[in-house]
Amino acid sequence: MLRPFALHRPGTAEEACALLATLGEDAAPYAGGTELLLLMKLGLLRPRHLVDVKRLAGFDVITDGGSLTLGAAVTHRAVERSPLVAARCPLVAAVARHVANVRVRNVGTVGGNLAFADPHSDLATLFLTLDAIVQLVSPRGRRELALADFTRGAWETARAADELLASVRLTPWPQGTAAVYVKFGVHERPTLGVALALVLDASRARVTEARVAVGCVDPRPVRVPSVEARLRGVAVPELEDVAGAIGELAAAAVEPDDDLHGSADYKREMVAVFVRRALRIAAGRARGASTPIPQFPHAVIA
Amino acid sequence: MTAGGVSRLTIRAVVNGRPRELDVPTHALLLDVLRDDLDLKGAKRSCDSQVCGACTVLVDGLAVSACTYLAVEADGRAIVTVEGLADGDALHPIQEAFIEAGAVQCGFCTAGMLLTARALLAENPTPTREQILHSLRGSLCRCTGYRKIVDAMEARHGARVEERPGSAGTRRTFGGEGAMSGPPATPTTPEERPGSAGARRTFGGEGAMSGPPATPTTPEERPGSAGARRTFGGVGAMSGPPLKWIGRSVRRVDALEKVTGRARYVTDLVVPGMLHARVLRSPHAHARLARVDATRARALPGVVAVLTGADLTWCDPYCGPAFRDRPILAIDVARFEGEPVAAVAALDEATAEAALDLIDVDYAPQPAAITLEEALAPGAPLVHTGEPLAGHFADLSSLKPEPGTNVCHRFRFARGDAAAALAGADLVVEDTYRFPAVQHYAMEPHAAVAAWDETGSLTVWASTQNPYSVRVELAKMFGAPLSRIRVVVPHLGGGFGSKTYAKLEPLTAALAHVARRPVRLAISAAEAFQTVRRCSARVAMRVGFRRDGALVAVECDAQYDVGAYADIGPRVVQKATYTATGPYRVPHVALGAAAVYTHTTPGGAFRGFGVPQLAWALESLFDVAADRLGRDPVDLRRDNLLGHGEEFAPGDTPIDGKYEESLGRAAEAIGWTQALAADRGRGVAAMLKASIGPSVSEAIVRLHADGSVTVLASAVEMGQGTRTVLSQIAAEVLAVPLERVTVVPPDTAITPYDQTTSSSRSTTMTGRAVQVAAEDVREQLLRVAADALGLPARDLALEDGAVVSAVQRLTYPEILALRFGMSGGELIGRGVVAPGRSAAPLGGSTPFWEMAVGAAEVSIDEETGAVKVERYVSVADVGRAVNPLVLEGQDEGGVVQGLGHTLLEEMVYTDGHLVNGTLLLYRVPRADDVPALACRFVENADGAGPFGAKGAGEGSLIPVSPAVANALARLTGVRLRDLPLTPERVWRALRARKDPETHAGEPS
Repeated sequence: MLRPFALHRPGTAEEACALLATLGEDAAPYAGGTELLLLMKLGLLRPRHLVDVKRLAGFDVITDGGSLTLGAAVTHRAVERSPLVAARCPLVAAVARHVANVRVRNVGTVGGNLAFADPHSDLATLFLTLDAIVQLVSPRGRRELALADFTRGAWETARAADELLASVRLTPWPQGTAAVYVKFGVHERPTLGVALALVLDASRARVTEARVAVGCVDPRPVRVPSVEARLRGVAVPELEDVAGAIGELAAAAVEPDDDLHGSADYKREMVAVFVRRALRIAAGRARGASTPIPQFPHAVIA
Repeated sequence: MTAGGVSRLTIRAVVNGRPRELDVPTHALLLDVLRDDLDLKGAKRSCDSQVCGACTVLVDGLAVSACTYLAVEADGRAIVTVEGLADGDALHPIQEAFIEAGAVQCGFCTAGMLLTARALLAENPTPTREQILHSLRGSLCRCTGYRKIVDAMEARHGARVEERPGSAGTRRTFGGEGAMSGPPATPTTPEERPGSAGARRTFGGEGAMSGPPATPTTPEERPGSAGARRTFGGVGAMSGPPLKWIGRSVRRVDALEKVTGRARYVTDLVVPGMLHARVLRSPHAHARLARVDATRARALPGVVAVLTGADLTWCDPYCGPAFRDRPILAIDVARFEGEPVAAVAALDEATAEAALDLIDVDYAPQPAAITLEEALAPGAPLVHTGEPLAGHFADLSSLKPEPGTNVCHRFRFARGDAAAALAGADLVVEDTYRFPAVQHYAMEPHAAVAAWDETGSLTVWASTQNPYSVRVELAKMFGAPLSRIRVVVPHLGGGFGSKTYAKLEPLTAALAHVARRPVRLAISAAEAFQTVRRCSARVAMRVGFRRDGALVAVECDAQYDVGAYADIGPRVVQKATYTATGPYRVPHVALGAAAVYTHTTPGGAFRGFGVPQLAWALESLFDVAADRLGRDPVDLRRDNLLGHGEEFAPGDTPIDGKYEESLGRAAEAIGWTQALAADRGRGVAAMLKASIGPSVSEAIVRLHADGSVTVLASAVEMGQGTRTVLSQIAAEVLAVPLERVTVVPPDTAITPYDQTTSSSRSTTMTGRAVQVAAEDVREQLLRVAADALGLPARDLALEDGAVVSAVQRLTYPEILALRFGMSGGELIGRGVVAPGRSAAPLGGSTPFWEMAVGAAEVSIDEETGAVKVERYVSVADVGRAVNPLVLEGQDEGGVVQGLGHTLLEEMVYTDGHLVNGTLLLYRVPRADDVPALACRFVENADGAGPFGAKGAGEGSLIPVSPAVANALARLTGVRLRDLPLTPERVWRALRARKDPETHAGEPS
């Protein structure tokens, strides 16, 4: 059951921001509602005004202009099925297929997901490896922030009360990049997410650049520069030789706590395990191997 | 667009093909608008957090969670609910498929499953299994074990059903005359029919369970006694006369209403003028209530009544089946987090909810005992300090709390000299095993609607498994005669024990009394975590063997955490501990157990009733012993199994099934002696469980002037298929088509006494009462027909709605017309099954033993510790499967529920607080967790129930944990003693094995 609120359906982002500025803490932007309405039902959030951002011009479109821009109100389903996403960031489409469940994907939005900053989410982790930039609009104008700076902690972002997350811009990897996203956990939301991308040279023989992010373990997802540095320049056939080392590096880069998802030491070890596994899968993809992807219990591989 | 926004909107939507215009508040959820404004009750509220899918509807073809979707979003869109799936009377193919595959049980998830399936199939008519499982990632079912749902979606159901024994083949149409009544498998002669005199001799009728009259029976006549066993069924009865309805996988009689969304549950009922209630709950595990002031809440417009513990002076506020230790609302002290402290009845739920914020409570938090260790420590905070009153069952009067401690009941059972036998044993294996507190998560959370009339009579529509126990509680608390308390039970959305004994009914009735209006209280799934749970346990067991493998002694010292109020916990402890030795011959036993109060959610009945906790220990130790003795675990079990007819304990029912057959078939089906891949392990486990004794079921069968039949019985349909089974029994005895039989839902004003729908007893006890009542009608028919035809009754038989002789035939309408001299009147048959007390150790003999064996094949992801159950086989000795498809579905659900506490489920307390008390955080099995699963039955018609049937449904769950752990131990060498076998727990154990120095002493 929801407590009463006034619904606002502004026509433009400027109007929406003006409303947010006027209403202050009493208002919340509303898109799919899959997270917001849930917390409102629990009484954890009690906004008296909802500002619907689904109808704002440009908020529900996916555009390709060198980088790939996902409007904040684009649903996970739309991402999953977009030919543009499939062409430019195929792993994003593949991961979208595994966000939460079919009903959440049909309604929930990319912007809502990022703006809620639930630490147990898939998109933010993956987007870090795509050098995601979020665009925020407010009565003061527009600004851009790296996703890494936007997400400050668990359920905490750099968005000001009168700001709207308008879109997120992804920098697609070069064609031929071998990448994978793996998530693991027995709970409804993932215990661990690993996104790993190997940018290859023209002959697909060597890693020219790597992007690795680990999510769900720390309050916010993190890129792992130490792992990326270790992978840079490694020949594809030799990736297996560094699997153990990069697992250890990744484990050293996270600071998990004990919680329902597991003890800190277990989670740290799982980071090592799944970074290794992600590397092996990506290495297989780099080789163009046709061997089937291994299946692991309680793990989803995209 | 105004700066103020809008708080209401007029929306236009096409709902199930019909244009609708609705004026809705902006905060209205689509689910509430559909259910309350449009009376489309098919979508259900369960988890309320987008995890379970029970509220799924389609919006422009896409599945959404109507519980978390604003109704205003439906503007301009097409909505399809389950009510809109069928085209008039023509079911949608997916509805047909669900019925055919047996994918419908309690029905609470069914609408969501159907719509999820429809959305998938609309996009992809030929989905792969992976795609089906992916689409069901957000759809929970607690009854079916998912297998038949996936089958239905794969649309391979037709072939599968035809393969099944007892199946009458597939029928793709529904609702036509005879659709449920295909011809008998083989033509029969009148003499061979079960209704004939010859058949009656085989299947009983003269025995103790076949009253009337309900006079005291002699021990020789009791169903558990040897004499009774001779009377009922008996080995070989399976080869008796062919049966028309028994043993056939007929469609469930409630399938149509469930796939169309028409089945009504308590939460769907609307009583004119009813108020809506909400409950204020303690945020502390243990607190004194220094002040509870509802003044501000009472002043809120729309609030009609507010109740606090201090207000309950006009009734007896205490209830409880074992001890009357639980107040309707906390009085002076709150003993667990979530205990009801106050309740509000208001014109609508939102007002009631808002009023909760206006109740001022000053809590003085007290030290709490959350764990068994804390509760049993010297100087532990006491949960109860006064002497509780005895509960309402005479047979529980022996239960005694130990004053000054948190021990609410202690039970001991001994035979022989276990200490000496263990001292002399060649091998003693011993260890301490732990079983977690788990939540039933029946998908329908508890609900009740209560209404008092001007004469002081109370009617309660309740989601309860035992209306008659609820009636006793209410009568005591409100000082009314039983005849003035009416408890009505519509469909239940799952029970699993959570809905046994009074739960919400006393509070709802008290609110209705004060408000002087009907009151509805429907709690959330999260509140169900604060209502009842399985008793967690710590079990220390020592098991002694001779070198040759003979089991010589079992010593057990168990503590069960029964939470803050006893509920039925002491009985759980007593009954389970009595059978702690499982299905084995053990000369020397010393079994002890304590029920221990803690400051946590009350523990009560949950499928298995205390036995899973003990079987976890015993069956694990059996494999430890096999290992030490160098014996095969299957062989070691076989050597020690109780044989058919063998005594379990003096005075109790002898073993009424063939364990060696179950064990053999389970071993064969899992391929026990076959080669095994190096990365797989196999394990086996067995179980034994008593049902309730003494025990009473009564039934009335009415044959109407047109030859149709009404069955009055109070077994609750909660998904297990009891309405279907009772229909089959009545149809069989009276030789009428199944669709001519109507089973009336339980209503204590109408349907006769039945003790409880639990303990796997309904087919055996209620079913037997229906059989006896139907036989009573049959005798009356034969008498009238014999007079009319001038033939002895023994020359007559019942056939297709008529009494026939070799040459003559009188239809039932003709017979009734002869009997009454007019076209009216009816024949009424009465059935009473009342085995009474016996010399058995618990005071009553079990009417049957529930017997099953499970076998698992597992693999392990060693790096993560994740255990995967690849294959599972359950073999249950059921005497006779009245409806094999329904029973198979029930056992599949039991296995999967068992996999829940084996691998996933545990209520976790941190710093005194339950931290995973919602479905977002408490993980139950999903469709993609289900292994390749085979549930099979041993049928020797040797049960005490109708046609040799006996109880089933709990047995499949109990062996799961030890079978899986035994398989894991055989695969990895690691023996785990704590459930669930979470990846982290297994990972830790594997690590300790590899590196015992570093990780010694780590918890496993």
